[in-house]
Amino acid sequence: MVHALEEIRRVLAPDGILIDMRPFAEHWRVEVVSSRGIKETGQVDDLPEQVSGDVASNEAMKEVESRGWFQREQEEFFPLFYSWDTPSEMEKFVDEDWADFIGLSEENRKSTRAVWAVGEADSRVRIRVKILIARWHKADW
Amino acid sequence: MSLQKDPERHETKYLHQYANLTGRRVLEIGCGEGRLTWQYAKGTGSTIAVDLDHDSLRVAKVDRPYDLENKVHLAGADSLYLPFAKEKFDIAILAWSL
Repeated sequence: MVHALEEIRRVLAPDGILIDMRPFAEHWRVEVVSSRGIKETGQVDDLPEQVSGDVASNEAMKEVESRGWFQREQEEFFPLFYSWDTPSEMEKFVDEDWADFIGLSEENRKSTRAVWAVGEADSRVRIRVKILIARWHKADW
Repeated sequence: MSLQKDPERHETKYLHQYANLTGRRVLEIGCGEGRLTWQYAKGTGSTIAVDLDHDSLRVAKVDRPYDLENKVHLAGADSLYLPFAKEKFDIAILAWSL
């Protein structure tokens, strides 16, 4: 990662800006949402690969900051939603596409299905993904 | 599949808050199928979007909006060895790729 950041620094003009935007593991909430409101039905399980990936990314940014390559100017978290018509579609996506990163417990699956089944006709299910965004300024050294 | 990714477009909103992309030379690393790219690239001076996944890039090339054909250039590249001259870009975006 540090080498990739060195490459990015090389191709950035003086005073260039690096935007780091990525999901951040923190037991993302599962919700059923409809025109009547939002109901949380559980939280995803963070799997070790996602957690260790976050740690490695943060350490890489700390390293390039300590080397004087970039200076952090601004940082915050915001929610981003992945949304499906039905719980089964959500489960299929998580099991196939995010299997290395998060898990859904059986209890969570049952809870989501139950809430969705008795919900409004426009009910959807969604996962509230926590996203980190940070702006880094290319520093002189 | 009924999947909607970021229907509220929070990513684009925050991206614009964090960087003035207007007229800038932008490099996006990890563009995937271009979901985010199509949302911000119109106002840039030029955008080069790279990814290692050639299947995703193939989808991106098909999905690229007509009005972005001359603005957004897609390429297969590894962030470890970016095939560009030094100081070529004003802004680099690591999109879910660090």
